Amino acid sequence: MQAFQDDLLKFEGLNAQVLGVSADDLESHKRFSAELGLKFPLLSDNDGKLTGLYGKGRITFLIDRQGVIRLIQPGFPKNEEILAEIRKLEKMP
Amino acid sequence: MKPLVWIFVLMAFAFLPSQSFGLAIGEKAPPFEAPSTQGTIRLSDFQGKKLVVLAFYIRDFTPG
Repeated sequence: MQAFQDDLLKFEGLNAQVLGVSADDLESHKRFSAELGLKFPLLSDNDGKLTGLYGKGRITFLIDRQGVIRLIQPGFPKNEEILAEIRKLEKMP
Repeated sequence: MKPLVWIFVLMAFAFLPSQSFGLAIGEKAPPFEAPSTQGTIRLSDFQGKKLVVLAFYIRDFTPG
């Protein structure tokens, strides 16, 4: 999540909202956010509902404004790849 | 815990297989709602407004 925070201005500049999700509860999320200085929300999926809908393990989805999945990236997030796809979708150089 | 044990635990997390449940590029993202550090968040909050980068990770206080 640190890497997303480091690149947060780039994501925000492209009008993209970063959301982190794990099964941890909100108390843990608040401490983790404070420790890393995260300015984007961390969602608590402690009932496993989101994981049930989307998938398990470390995986990142890019969803466009119409709610369509544009990128599925298993493993550690690769921000440059995500940003490149957003620029392509937004038709920005 | 001894540092070596921690290293093994972290490695185990790093190699957990990730898997999307039948979702594919070009499909509609399933709607969701969940509590967050910035209040309740729904996918529909962003539709028509912003792209969403939805990043699933394993645990707080681990890298990535």
